[in-house]
Amino acid sequence: MRNEKEVIELIEKNLSPLETEEKRAQNISVKFGPEDTIQALSFLKSKGYKQLSTISCVDWIDDNEFELVYHLYSYDDFINISVKTRIDREKAKFVTLKEVWPVAEFYERDIHDFFGVEFEGNDDLEELILENWNDIPPMRKDFDTRKFVNDEYEWRDYDGQKHTD
Amino acid sequence: MKEKFKRGKWKEFLDWAQNKSLSMLHYCTGCGAIELPPTMTSRYDMSRFGIGQAATPRQADLLLVTGYLSTKTLRRIIYTYEQMQEPKFVVGFGSCTINGGMYWDSYNTIKQLDKYLPVELYIAGCMPRPEAILDGFLELKQKIDSGEAKGYEEYEENIEFYHKNQEEVLGEVQRTQ
Amino acid sequence: MMNMNGGIMMDKNTQTEIFFGPNHPGVPGNYGIIYDFEGDTVTEAKPNAGHLHRGFEKLMEERIWIKNTALVPRICVEEPDINEMVYAMGYEAIGELEVPERAHYIRSIILELARLQGHIFSIGGNAAGIGQYTVMHWGTLTRDYILDIFEEITGGRVYHIYIRPGGVRQDISDKTFEKILDLMDDLEENRLPDLDKTLYENPNAQKRWKGTAVITAEEAMEMGATGPVLRGAGKAYDLRKMMPYAAYDKVDFEIPTRESGDAWARLKVVREEMTQSIKIIRQLINDIPDGPVKLDLGNALKYKIPEGDAYVKIESKRGEYGYYMVSDGSLKPYRVHVRGASNPLGLYGVTEYLPGTRVADVPVWAKSLGICPPEFDR
Repeated sequence: MRNEKEVIELIEKNLSPLETEEKRAQNISVKFGPEDTIQALSFLKSKGYKQLSTISCVDWIDDNEFELVYHLYSYDDFINISVKTRIDREKAKFVTLKEVWPVAEFYERDIHDFFGVEFEGNDDLEELILENWNDIPPMRKDFDTRKFVNDEYEWRDYDGQKHTD
Repeated sequence: MKEKFKRGKWKEFLDWAQNKSLSMLHYCTGCGAIELPPTMTSRYDMSRFGIGQAATPRQADLLLVTGYLSTKTLRRIIYTYEQMQEPKFVVGFGSCTINGGMYWDSYNTIKQLDKYLPVELYIAGCMPRPEAILDGFLELKQKIDSGEAKGYEEYEENIEFYHKNQEEVLGEVQRTQ
Repeated sequence: MMNMNGGIMMDKNTQTEIFFGPNHPGVPGNYGIIYDFEGDTVTEAKPNAGHLHRGFEKLMEERIWIKNTALVPRICVEEPDINEMVYAMGYEAIGELEVPERAHYIRSIILELARLQGHIFSIGGNAAGIGQYTVMHWGTLTRDYILDIFEEITGGRVYHIYIRPGGVRQDISDKTFEKILDLMDDLEENRLPDLDKTLYENPNAQKRWKGTAVITAEEAMEMGATGPVLRGAGKAYDLRKMMPYAAYDKVDFEIPTRESGDAWARLKVVREEMTQSIKIIRQLINDIPDGPVKLDLGNALKYKIPEGDAYVKIESKRGEYGYYMVSDGSLKPYRVHVRGASNPLGLYGVTEYLPGTRVADVPVWAKSLGICPPEFDR
């Protein structure tokens, strides 16, 4: 069973991260460039980090970038590793993780639905949660949900008018 | 007004009999549905008031919309409502059916239920207790007995208004008979 | 070609597609599965999700930190306290706050009571899935007695809004602790033995559940599914022991496991976890220290934490439940991502592991794995 410092040494010796940080007890965070991420995730899986908890996406609109975060966990060391990478916001594209973990197919479909990121190699990206949505992807920071609701729907009038008037 | 909806002696007898044996469709559409099992089982028993459960929409009289409706569920609820036989009643449950409730600024839920379906009665709360649900049902039974629960007639007479509102939110809607 | 009863057998190449739809007493909530079957066996399946989507992650970005504590319990309706706990833990992790000791003990008591009422409700739901309606009535009634205790502590039956960043909202009196201990005695002496005799020793239930819906430990770890699914397949794993939070490192309890990985094993594990929960609650009430129950963080409308991010997780009754929270130093959260416990099972597990079961056992598959649709629809 390894502790946090040994895991950071293992990563720095075998891969080329941009930054590593020991955040708090049993939690580590690592940053990679977009070309090295899939290889780093396969390496960590072979060293015992078998569980992919989920894939998150954060919209950094001021830097004009999306950040993808992969959360991994090991059943032997009991340590969480968050693997982060940044991609361009205008042409949002990345490689799929389906070959390494088959369950990633549905997490990537979810991100495609809400942020509009394309994943090469995952050709089944139809709508999972939304239905017939024809505006910009709703979780982006430039989608204003209160303005959308005030334009599309009417609020109830409490002066006693009937609906057919 | 159609001939069959006029209130005479036969309709008075039918209303008295129907208010004592309502069949509710068990379709849990939103988060308010977690207070339905306590109302149906032995602690706050609702079958002593004559309300039971039906398995399919074709066999039910009462549609209970428990809580918020997303647009994906609204399409299925309209299809369900148009399949039910007359006379049929809709009850709005919780504050999300009145004016949007907790999710008033969500892009995926509807804000007023009675623009799309005719509602007899609202039960306020987030979420209503089983005693409040039984109180609402007793008021509904009184309304049926006195002949004032005419939501299905209003749907037939103002069908252009309802269809226009539904298609504005959903696009094209599949109809049934 | 004629079969035994003199009828005509169907051609071998007929496949029918069916909507095991949102309006069905066999599904756990407003969720659907579309599957193809041939004869009596399912051949292909895919999920029909999204009926409960409200856009929580977008709504949380529009409200200040304290207002989200009222919005967050509505994400999972069967066990709302886990959402409040993980939100508070994420806030405290980024802000590096230390919660007082008495608050840790009270939080653990609330979480164990929530686990008890969730487990008894799900045993009742599973029994209704095979036709045993007596146990369904008993399950709903027992859960109601636990909700009476919640109403006395917090004021609400289902949504409590009690655990908040910095501690809990108010203190619990000694009279309420005595009521909780009386209820635990009542459960252990009268109600749970009746449940064992009626449901678990019934040969019909054993034949329905043994050998159905098998998932092995390797398949569960590959998917990321933990909880009774993993413990029923042989691996003793519980986040309350491996990554302890609140007051769980100060109490003594065991992790029950079974070997076979079918629906019977999962339901036996759930029943034994209830016994362990009663043991934990008695120890916590016996050892609880005195002191304050919340930190003084100033004006609630101006809560603020520095920039940073955190992924926090706890053990809910279905498995690992986590939030990824990002803060940019302002009055509102920048991003909150919810990871439900049944996310891999309800979406990926349906396409991969449902084919091969009998059509009449599809409700048993869906209910015994603990699929809760509002967690992945959000």
